[in-house]
Amino acid sequence: MTDLLEGEIGIATESDLVVARKAVRGAADSLGFSVTDVTRIVTAASELTRNIFRYAGTGVMRWHRLERGGSLGLELTFADDGPGIGDIEQAMQAGFSSSGGLGLGLPGAKRLMDEMEIASEVGKGTTVTVRKWRRKA
Amino acid sequence: MASRTGPLERRKSTAGEVAPVDWEGRKAFVGFTSDDAQLLRDLRPVAEAYAGEVVEEFYRRFLSFPETRAFFADEARLNRVKAMQKQYFLGLTEGEYGEAYLRNRLEIGRVHQRIGLAPRWYMGAYSIYMQLTFPRVLAAFAHDLEKGQRAFLALLKIITLDKELAVTTYIAAGEEIITRQSQEIVEISTPVIQVWNGVVVAPLIGSLDSQRTQQFMERLLERIVETNSPVALVDITGVPTIDTQTAQHLVETITAVRLLGAQVVLTGVRPAIAQTLVHLGIDLSGISTRSSLAAGLRVAFDLLDLRVVAGAAPGARE
Amino acid sequence: MTGSISVIRVGDLLLVTVPPDPDDPTVGELQEGVLRAMEQYDAKGLVLDISTVETLDSFFARTIAETAQMVGLMGGRTVIAGMRASVAITATQLGLTLGGSLTALDVDRALRLLGRGAQGGAR
Ligand SMILES: Nc1ncnc2c1ncn2[C@@H]1O[C@H](COP(=O)(O)OP(=O)(O)OP(=O)(O)O)[C@@H](O)[C@H]1O
Ligand SMILES: [Mg+2]
Repeated sequence: MTDLLEGEIGIATESDLVVARKAVRGAADSLGFSVTDVTRIVTAASELTRNIFRYAGTGVMRWHRLERGGSLGLELTFADDGPGIGDIEQAMQAGFSSSGGLGLGLPGAKRLMDEMEIASEVGKGTTVTVRKWRRKA
Repeated sequence: MASRTGPLERRKSTAGEVAPVDWEGRKAFVGFTSDDAQLLRDLRPVAEAYAGEVVEEFYRRFLSFPETRAFFADEARLNRVKAMQKQYFLGLTEGEYGEAYLRNRLEIGRVHQRIGLAPRWYMGAYSIYMQLTFPRVLAAFAHDLEKGQRAFLALLKIITLDKELAVTTYIAAGEEIITRQSQEIVEISTPVIQVWNGVVVAPLIGSLDSQRTQQFMERLLERIVETNSPVALVDITGVPTIDTQTAQHLVETITAVRLLGAQVVLTGVRPAIAQTLVHLGIDLSGISTRSSLAAGLRVAFDLLDLRVVAGAAPGARE
Repeated sequence: MTGSISVIRVGDLLLVTVPPDPDDPTVGELQEGVLRAMEQYDAKGLVLDISTVETLDSFFARTIAETAQMVGLMGGRTVIAGMRASVAITATQLGLTLGGSLTALDVDRALRLLGRGAQGGAR
């Protein structure tokens, strides 16, 4: 394993989701995020790791500390070599699910975080990157 | 402070502390190398020879301006500061420019910021330093002007780094003040008051932007949990206008409060606001609203009575 | 984490305390355990104490909402008790609704709410 503020965790089994949530909580806590922001970040991470597990089977979560213009933040990346997402716009719509889920994971993660990017190619895989900045007040 | 063992980069930045400083990166950027450290070490005898006189001249300048003279009320204090100044000056040629140096410089910056020395004087002081030291450095190296020039540049680099650190502490302190003040403003402008056992009132005053509404939501929910209050009256009498965004935030707040097991009664819904809400197509069905805070309170008591009457009698707590 | 769900009987009600960060199998087990106990004790209601839960994601929320629905089909009512403020804010922002289940500030209030319901009182 790695230190609190950056690291990498392989996602392959259900118990890896718990490990990933713990790691993200540790990083967000030690960066001084508010309790509610920590909850937001961990929840978004839970959604995105579960998507890897559910749609790609295996993948990896990476995280690291950000610093920009005196602000601190946390970046999380979720990468897999799974089937990819054909229509990203559709996948981002609240309520869209190809698996009978609530279809809240992707759009919800976007709302909970400050920034989100998805890169995906059908047959190649998906990479979702999210960032959260520490609120000033 | 002493108990912190991790490198500065890992430190959690909390109030009163400067956010992590990329010290190695800063040195690399101004091109401060181990050669420079060595040159400064070589300057040490020169610095020792001139320290007393440089500091004296330095304070002559400081004492000839009323704004800076004000900082040296009495002789004792002046002498104390002069001694510290000499330490600082000699520190420039100490030869060690690692973590300890960084911490020392940040602390010096913080002290000056704390006593309220405005940046213009602080920055001016560095200029005075340079004017006082550079001719002396060059004079000391009259026999080897090439080395003198390199020593001069080394000194310029370390002083520039010191200045940067000073600016960093000033900015950090400024940001902290702004953060604290805006936090206070939010708390003052959105109080959440327990008015009855089981009832909190949150009067909203002024326009509501996203950030403020979000903070309001957090405070309201935390207070509901803290006070174990099943009813929250959110009074919008003092809100001049409402837009889609704000209305959306209010609806979100009300939804979140329900998840806690409490409910919101929206009060102070004036005709203009009611019109706007309907025109915006905001769905407030299922949310109890009242035109006045008094009417809202009656609803709250009704709600609580219902529980107290129908449930176990000793429902009241606290 | 597995095996950490216990269902407690309180009169004709069931009380389940959900662990802070359950993995998916534990969440699944919660549903199983609750439904079995509903049948076994012919319970009138269920209180899910989530006061220690720090993360409620869409999977967990859906399981809770479904469980409440199933309990409903078996003639019981479910109250979700003690949700933390940070969790409620996050859940709302994520778009979770818990299928309109009943909620209460704490277990005490939840039990009273159900007790009253069992006597046929108003909502
Ligand atoms: N890593 C991924 N690889 C392939 N497809 C993905 C991936 N992540 C998401 N998707 C696709 O995007 C859709 C939307 O994802 P989202 O997380 O929003 O909802 P969901 O997983 O279907 O349901 P929920 O997360 O609410 O349980 C998914 O149904 C799936 O088709
Ligand atoms: Mg999903």
